[in-house]
Amino acid sequence: MKAKSFQRVSSVEEAYKLVKESPRNKIVAGGLWLKKGNAEVETLIDLSNLGLDKIEDKKEFVEVGAMVTLRQFEQSKLVPVMAREAVKAVMGPAFRNVATIGGSVYGKFGFSDVVCGLLGYKVELEFYPEGKISLIEYVKKPGFYDGILTHVRIYKEDLKAFFKKVGITALDYPIVNVAVTKGKEYRIAVGSRPLVAFRAEKAEAYLNEGGKDFAKAAELVVEELKFGDSISNKGEYKKQLALTYVRRGLEEVNK
Amino acid sequence: MKKNFKVVNNLTPSVDGKGLMQGRHAYADDIAAPNSLVIKLLRSPHAFAKVKSIDVSEALKVPGVECILTKDNVPHVSFTRAGQGYPEPSPHDKFIFDEYVRYVGDEVAAVAAVSEEIALEAMKLIKVDYEVLEPVLDFEKAFENKSVIHPEDGIHEMFPIGFDPKKNLAASYEMEVGNVAEELKKSDVVVEDTFYSQAQAHAMMEPHTCNARLDEHNRLVIYSTTQTPFHMRRILSKTLGLPVEKIRVIKPRVGGGFGGKQAFHGEMFAALVTLRTKKPSKCVFTREEVFGCTYTRHPMRITLKVGATKDGLINAIDCRALSDTGAYGEHALTVFMIVGSKVLPLYNKVKAVKFGGQVVYTNHVSAGAYRGYGAIQGNYAVESIIDELAEALHMDPIKLREINSMKEKETSPIFEIMGEGTEGTAMIMESCKLPYCIKRGRELMEWDKKYPCKKVGDHKIRSVGCAIAMQGSGIPFLDMGSCTIKLNDGGSYMVTVGATDIGQGSDTVISQIVAEELGTTMDKVIIYSSDTDLTPYDCGAYASSTTYVSGNAAYNAACKMRERLIKEAAQELNVKPEDVEFDGKTFTSGESSVTLEDLSVGRLYNNDTRQIAVTESYHGHVSPPPFMAAFGEFEFDTETFEYKMIKYVTVTDCGTTINPGLARGQVEGGVTQGYGMASSEAVIYSPKGKLLSNTFDTYHIPTCKEVGELVSEFADSYEPTGPFGAKSVGEIGIDTPPAVLCNAVYNAFGVRIHSLPITPEKIFEAMKAKK
Amino acid sequence: MLVKFNLNGLDVEYIIKPGEYLLDTLRANGVKSVKKGCDGSACGVCTVLLDDKPVLSCSVLTAKVEGHRVTTVEAIQEEAAALADCFSKEGADQCGYCNAAFALAVHALKQENPNPTDEEIKDYLVGNLCRCTGYQAQQKAIKAYLGGKK
Repeated sequence: MKAKSFQRVSSVEEAYKLVKESPRNKIVAGGLWLKKGNAEVETLIDLSNLGLDKIEDKKEFVEVGAMVTLRQFEQSKLVPVMAREAVKAVMGPAFRNVATIGGSVYGKFGFSDVVCGLLGYKVELEFYPEGKISLIEYVKKPGFYDGILTHVRIYKEDLKAFFKKVGITALDYPIVNVAVTKGKEYRIAVGSRPLVAFRAEKAEAYLNEGGKDFAKAAELVVEELKFGDSISNKGEYKKQLALTYVRRGLEEVNK
Repeated sequence: MKKNFKVVNNLTPSVDGKGLMQGRHAYADDIAAPNSLVIKLLRSPHAFAKVKSIDVSEALKVPGVECILTKDNVPHVSFTRAGQGYPEPSPHDKFIFDEYVRYVGDEVAAVAAVSEEIALEAMKLIKVDYEVLEPVLDFEKAFENKSVIHPEDGIHEMFPIGFDPKKNLAASYEMEVGNVAEELKKSDVVVEDTFYSQAQAHAMMEPHTCNARLDEHNRLVIYSTTQTPFHMRRILSKTLGLPVEKIRVIKPRVGGGFGGKQAFHGEMFAALVTLRTKKPSKCVFTREEVFGCTYTRHPMRITLKVGATKDGLINAIDCRALSDTGAYGEHALTVFMIVGSKVLPLYNKVKAVKFGGQVVYTNHVSAGAYRGYGAIQGNYAVESIIDELAEALHMDPIKLREINSMKEKETSPIFEIMGEGTEGTAMIMESCKLPYCIKRGRELMEWDKKYPCKKVGDHKIRSVGCAIAMQGSGIPFLDMGSCTIKLNDGGSYMVTVGATDIGQGSDTVISQIVAEELGTTMDKVIIYSSDTDLTPYDCGAYASSTTYVSGNAAYNAACKMRERLIKEAAQELNVKPEDVEFDGKTFTSGESSVTLEDLSVGRLYNNDTRQIAVTESYHGHVSPPPFMAAFGEFEFDTETFEYKMIKYVTVTDCGTTINPGLARGQVEGGVTQGYGMASSEAVIYSPKGKLLSNTFDTYHIPTCKEVGELVSEFADSYEPTGPFGAKSVGEIGIDTPPAVLCNAVYNAFGVRIHSLPITPEKIFEAMKAKK
Repeated sequence: MLVKFNLNGLDVEYIIKPGEYLLDTLRANGVKSVKKGCDGSACGVCTVLLDDKPVLSCSVLTAKVEGHRVTTVEAIQEEAAALADCFSKEGADQCGYCNAAFALAVHALKQENPNPTDEEIKDYLVGNLCRCTGYQAQQKAIKAYLGGKK
């Protein structure tokens, strides 16, 4: 990658200042998406010195620093099991030892298994300087924050969870991904539609009001969420996958 | 026929496996000259265009740029990039740079600079004026299309192959034995179907790489990831106008070829840059270039019509094929012919058989040699339609194959008719254990318990499919290998062969053959290969020839060496050669003896001194096919149609397995590569003709999680014309998975998928259509 | 810019470009056991160990390894030899291009999880692509190298 300089900043303020100085100054978390983007960069802003690589039990929630690698995340006993499963679905360990939670969430990539899995939980993001925003709001809002994602907080809940990534090979981008959780309420997220995972609110409402027909709930999901064609798969087939796995996920969390 | 071999057919580690795992510098880019100029290629963004002008003046001004090559300053001599015997059966339809560009990625200019960064910067300053032309992107519309892909002068075929570029024809072929139309009319049952296969990528782990330098004799030395160093030297010589003796081509360790390195990639450019600048240069392809700017498998449409009696005897087979050779015609005719010649003889009892069709140019990535070489495309079609025929006859598909397929001592008229672009060679199957392979494979798969399918859980069923296959062992009278063996002091042997090890283990197998014949151990055999200066000729690694052809050359040389040593020892012991016994270490005649070690030291230093060395060659007079029966078991989800491989059984007759471990490796590697073509390796082009599936992210080869249990056995077989009874095993592994999977899907769901890869989505679509 | 890190037990100092990747730095400085397969974070042949954990060296900016420990196969010669013996017993020794990366990944696996199940081995190595072997021979060899399963 072409870059004029590399700076390991000592504070998040310093990082933000550099970000505001030029659109050609780029944050380096793991650096994987930056490499794929192949941009011409002025300053690479490295966040390794900011202590954002910890996973901590903060009583109400588990706080995950944005620089925590996917591999750290998947191996941490503090993180709920389904979220770990979703992250484990991404590529292989050597990739996940470089990729970060922050990098995976910030970009809201359509194919993101990480975002899909996290939407099964109550998750709050912390940005500097923008502050707190729920994951679902961040995913829904058009565009990105220009600030720096520093923390991802997963609220502790007692719930049953299900995650499925459908792909042709183990290293494939997902054709769809599905997350279903049942705690005090249901949450259903379907991603790679090819759009990024969204919650299926109508289906959730049906279930939360006592609806028991899981096939019907799956139909509601597929009616509400937009499915389209990607380069390798038609929307029709993505719908079939969503119908099947939402239903199976609901059966699973009701066992 | 069990023989008591000491080295051959024994588990033997490869000669280089340890060193390579330990990271020794052995591959082409590892040994590039330091400070080599880096060559980057400017490539066409258009699928079809005329290059009206190129202005490199600004690019040349960039400090660090040493040389830029374009059509305006390179020799304008047409050649074929294909590494094949001379005269090549591929048309000479390529110029180093031409005034036309014929696919997205076709080369327009080569920039050589002191660093990659500078070369890429300079490339941005090259101004090219393209006249964009209408590309031909549908091979079914290519023939006689108004867009002519090769309108230029100066291109030609080397002998008649049906080359008619004005009609977008690279080659065509027709043959018929008996009268197919009549036999079909007489048949009780006739089935017909059409199958499409895709432009599979080799996806070898090492990208195409080459580097060039001038040695102290000012000769051009090229290190290349090539499967055919001798063909490369000849083609460089003719195209650049440099005498053969001024060129040296060396193949270092290669990280996989599978046919994708049986043709030129960057060597013309590196050669010219080094000749002009006098500096070493290198050209390393990016992975995107490997996918989109080298070669692919020939995608094909194959239509089959098969007629049989109600008792299941196949009367006639009519096979029509259309092959897409892409922008250039490398391997066009020969791959096409093998669709017929290495599949149809499986059913040798037919009364009539017809094979023919066309190979067309399109503005796709150029297709070329790829393991299987037409046999996998043909196998997909033929082994699928055989299942269709079985169903129409209400007959067990395995029984149908058993009663109609090749047996030992039989032949097929196709062998005599179809060769390497020309006539073939008649041959009797001196070794053919296909009936055993089928029977044994059926047992190993527990076919009778599983056919056609069984429910194994909620929304889960398992089914099985089968296919048989054959290939060849070298090309008779065209493929030639040779071997020199030199005796070192101490009794070790220096073996030099032209044979090209591209990871299939020919260095090891050849060493084993020499060690066996000379009664010695592997540590006493040193091998060096594939250097046009230092090793004797070999056609190269293709057509499954290294064990059979190069191996036989090594066997001949070892026999000659044994003879020679016995003569030397006889002289030493003052007896007649026929009275000398040699056990590999010692020569004995009655009470007197001399050790090989003493003899070898003496002959070099102080005792009737001379260098003991022999050179022998071999070319085949037949091409004895290996045979295989394959059975696959898959588990399907009945709602999403996702599936996984549970078990894949192969029973292979490749004669003696010189190296049983590596032979199994060839089978299992081939099966996995074939399974990728069958299941996951989709090729995607943009509407304008740009290859989109050009990274490992977008083109999916199997990972370790896609491969189920592989059960790979070998039949007890012995090919009398092969070295220690061996036939080839390099290609046959790849041929069966597409038909096996297609048949298993049919057995599970009653739908037949007519194009590759067979994805869950295609099964979903087919099931919807069925309703 | 200058970068200082520990390479195979030795402290090294290299002059690098800010946007340079570890794979290119290593190869330019004579460590050619690390291979370039795709330069796209997808094939695994460029695997090295960073603080004993496998990473894709084509995708790690060299500047980021300042102060860390990098291990290539040169530092685990005996282990690589032992693994190679296991590979050759199964016929898994083919073109070799992916092998040095496998040696490092298996070495890291052994430190992290000395008694993995078959699935755990596959999960750990799924990102190491191989086009030659069909994987099964490699899996058998690696199991033998690790000395048995749970």
